[in-house]
Amino acid sequence: MTQLAMTGLYKAFGSLPVLTGVDLEVPAGSLTAILGPSGSGKTTLLRVLAGFERADGGTVTIGGTVADGPGVHVAPERRRIGYVPQEGSLFPHLSVAGNVGFGLPPRERRGRRTAELLESVGLGGLGKRYPHQLSGGQQQRVALARALAIQPAVVLLDEPFASLDAHLRASVRADVQQIFRQAGTTAVLVTHDQDEALSTADRVAVLRDGKIAQCAAPQDLYARPVDADLASFIGDANLLTGVLGAGVVQTILGSLPVDPGGTAVPPPGPVTVLIRPEQVELQAADGSRPADMGGPHGPAAAAGPRCLAGRVISYGYHGHDAVVYVQPERDTGGRAIIVRTLGGRDLPPGSPVTLRAHGPVLAWSRKS
Amino acid sequence: MAAPPALATPGPLQQQPPATGAPAARKARLPAALIAASAAVAAVLALPLVFLLIEAHGAGTSTVAGLVFRGLTRELLWNTIRLTFVVTVLCAVIGTAAAWCVERTALPGRRVWAVLVVVPLAIPDFVVSFGWVSLWPWVQGFRGAVVVMTLAVYPLVYLPVAASLRAADPGQEEVARSLGTGRVRTFFRITLRQARGAILGGCLLVALVLLAEYGAFEILGYQTFTTEIFTEFNSFSLTSACALSLVLVLLSLIVLAGEGRLRGKGRVSRSGALAARQLSPHQLGRATIPVLAGFALLIMAALGVPVGASIYWIFEGGTHSLDGISLPGAAWQTALYGVGAAAIDTAAAFPVALLAVRYPGRARNLLERSTYLVLAMPGVVTAFALSYFTERYADSFLYQSTPLLILCYSIMFFPLALVGVKASLARAPVSLDEVARSLGQSKLAVLRRVTLRLTGPGLVAAFCLVFLSVVTELTATLLLIPTGAATLATQFWVYEQNVSYGQAAPFALAMIAVAAVPSYVLGRFFDRSAHAQR
Repeated sequence: MTQLAMTGLYKAFGSLPVLTGVDLEVPAGSLTAILGPSGSGKTTLLRVLAGFERADGGTVTIGGTVADGPGVHVAPERRRIGYVPQEGSLFPHLSVAGNVGFGLPPRERRGRRTAELLESVGLGGLGKRYPHQLSGGQQQRVALARALAIQPAVVLLDEPFASLDAHLRASVRADVQQIFRQAGTTAVLVTHDQDEALSTADRVAVLRDGKIAQCAAPQDLYARPVDADLASFIGDANLLTGVLGAGVVQTILGSLPVDPGGTAVPPPGPVTVLIRPEQVELQAADGSRPADMGGPHGPAAAAGPRCLAGRVISYGYHGHDAVVYVQPERDTGGRAIIVRTLGGRDLPPGSPVTLRAHGPVLAWSRKS
Repeated sequence: MAAPPALATPGPLQQQPPATGAPAARKARLPAALIAASAAVAAVLALPLVFLLIEAHGAGTSTVAGLVFRGLTRELLWNTIRLTFVVTVLCAVIGTAAAWCVERTALPGRRVWAVLVVVPLAIPDFVVSFGWVSLWPWVQGFRGAVVVMTLAVYPLVYLPVAASLRAADPGQEEVARSLGTGRVRTFFRITLRQARGAILGGCLLVALVLLAEYGAFEILGYQTFTTEIFTEFNSFSLTSACALSLVLVLLSLIVLAGEGRLRGKGRVSRSGALAARQLSPHQLGRATIPVLAGFALLIMAALGVPVGASIYWIFEGGTHSLDGISLPGAAWQTALYGVGAAAIDTAAAFPVALLAVRYPGRARNLLERSTYLVLAMPGVVTAFALSYFTERYADSFLYQSTPLLILCYSIMFFPLALVGVKASLARAPVSLDEVARSLGQSKLAVLRRVTLRLTGPGLVAAFCLVFLSVVTELTATLLLIPTGAATLATQFWVYEQNVSYGQAAPFALAMIAVAAVPSYVLGRFFDRSAHAQR
């Protein structure tokens, strides 16, 4: 069942179009992330959904009722939208309990419901504090409890974790996920952080140039982006040129099988090929793998792949893995190949290495 | 009058023209009620200038030109301009130096000095003047006016400069030093640049106050445009008063425009959201004693003389020769006027500020300009325009009536209320309203439960600001007060002009007492909200 739907949403500020036809359906009970770079219109979209801005065209349907459409504009207070702004925006003049109970009818404001809500976000007993006495993560939770208090049809979160410290972010994110799952709440989260979108949401919608470029489950989005731009927006990507034949594509890394489940396999001819960094195996040129643990294992795909010699440009060590930039000895249009290996020993710049890729890969017709 | 540092800071221009070319364009609703209310306020604010122009037009161009281009005008122009220039420069130097010493050096007793240096702002200029002249009658003319006015108004520079030095990024000074710039050059290249906007803003206020001052100059026997307009008005040379008023308004407009020019386009800001960090204060070393002596002298002259003189005359005043309204009676009358004007201004400023803060655009710009017009209208001109018009065209209806006087106060002090209300609205960001709306609250409920709650303290501050200004207002009050009524200021004036110093002194002390404590509190409020706005 669709809890929130947008069709053909259009919004411009002056002559500057921000949303140019957004179509998106949010299933009931799901947590959907709207992912886009800054300036892509994410916040405008959220504000249109909440009713703070009016769309210039298209419709917004919340729980089966048209909230914004030709001749219709439901006021924000009648939409039952739980809105959690970026900084939490707690009312500084009210206590935590006062904040949580703000949207409730006067009689219920001081009742058990407020305490229960605080309990559910893990802040039981803090009702008498004031917002400035809370940490950033606690403030976010209060803002969440305040939004949930009105039993909203949809909760909208605007970059909710952006203002938190890195170590807090992960835990608050996990808590929020759990709170939503338990309550069966439909939620839309806006973010510019790919990691956050991929790790938090059930579905990720990428907003690009005012339109939804793709909406899919996180793993599908990463594995099967609809085009090359999207591929490099979602995670690191090696985009190589190649020539597509029957089910295989010829690249400088040899011939690799093309993912048959990929979106619309292009006709044979020149293509752009996506090889994710973890699909490339790296060997030091002396024959031993770095630290003897790098590279994906498993059966070598087809006989096609071939080794490519190159030299290390940079080696970024991240503890759990390492990202290596390698300049191939054969020309790739000047671009380095990114390789992700698990752990690894030090490979100083200039070290000779060999690369080997593992399919299947994605391919798109090359734009001439 | 606590100096409003943000008074002449126009915000960045944001324009959002209506959507074009969109399919089925639906326009965002602009709050019609808000625009109507703000436009009405702007119209009332423009009344004095409109009246003045109508009057000048009625008198005929050649008549007005003849009155403007005569020897007297040249003399008044010279008197006014040289005094304004000299006092403004002196205030800039004293105010900035004092602010730097208090904020950035290890001056002994900084906190005490910080309070004492501001208090003279609460003393009406004519009381400072009275203090000096009553003790030393030879304080007269240009030199006397320079001394007295500098002492009376330098805090108008001190306050904004001190606030800006406190808010400025201390890291910039450290970086300059690390790049090999010496102490003195750092002061001129970095510190003064950081405070430049505040210094200019303070100078603007000083110049406007000097152009509008009447009482102090009358006591000092120094003739300026304002004193001459007052005299001409009282001797019923109305057309002449009108012509001189036009010149005075023009002068004020030139000051305003010049300040905008000088302010320039450079932006003073902190880079990064660093927590406010204290720069380790400069050690004064051997300069400590001279600087302390300087502060002591300043406080003695600006605060000690007027307060001391008032106390001296209470004991030495001799027999009471004049009858007049009693101190409590005058205080009561003053309070009534003050509360009336303050309530009107706070209420009127709210929609204007709301429109300016929440709906930026052309309307905001226009309203900001209309505020500028009021700043360029000295009290004597506003009072003159209102009274002349009612006398001439309304058959003396309302002439010298309480409503007209309160209207005059409201127009004069509207910019102060606007500054206060705008500062308070900055504490109620629109995002809180939106959250409240999304939680099912109607617009009215949001106004009541969120906006007014958060802006409450600022609204009280705006109210106090106008109230205090009314308490110490003399010029317009003298022109418009109903016959038989008296405020603290006018009753003081009657006694002072009659050389009944002993009777005048209690009124002076009452005004100081009423104004001193709240101006300190107000100073703190604006200081804090300046921090909150960042």
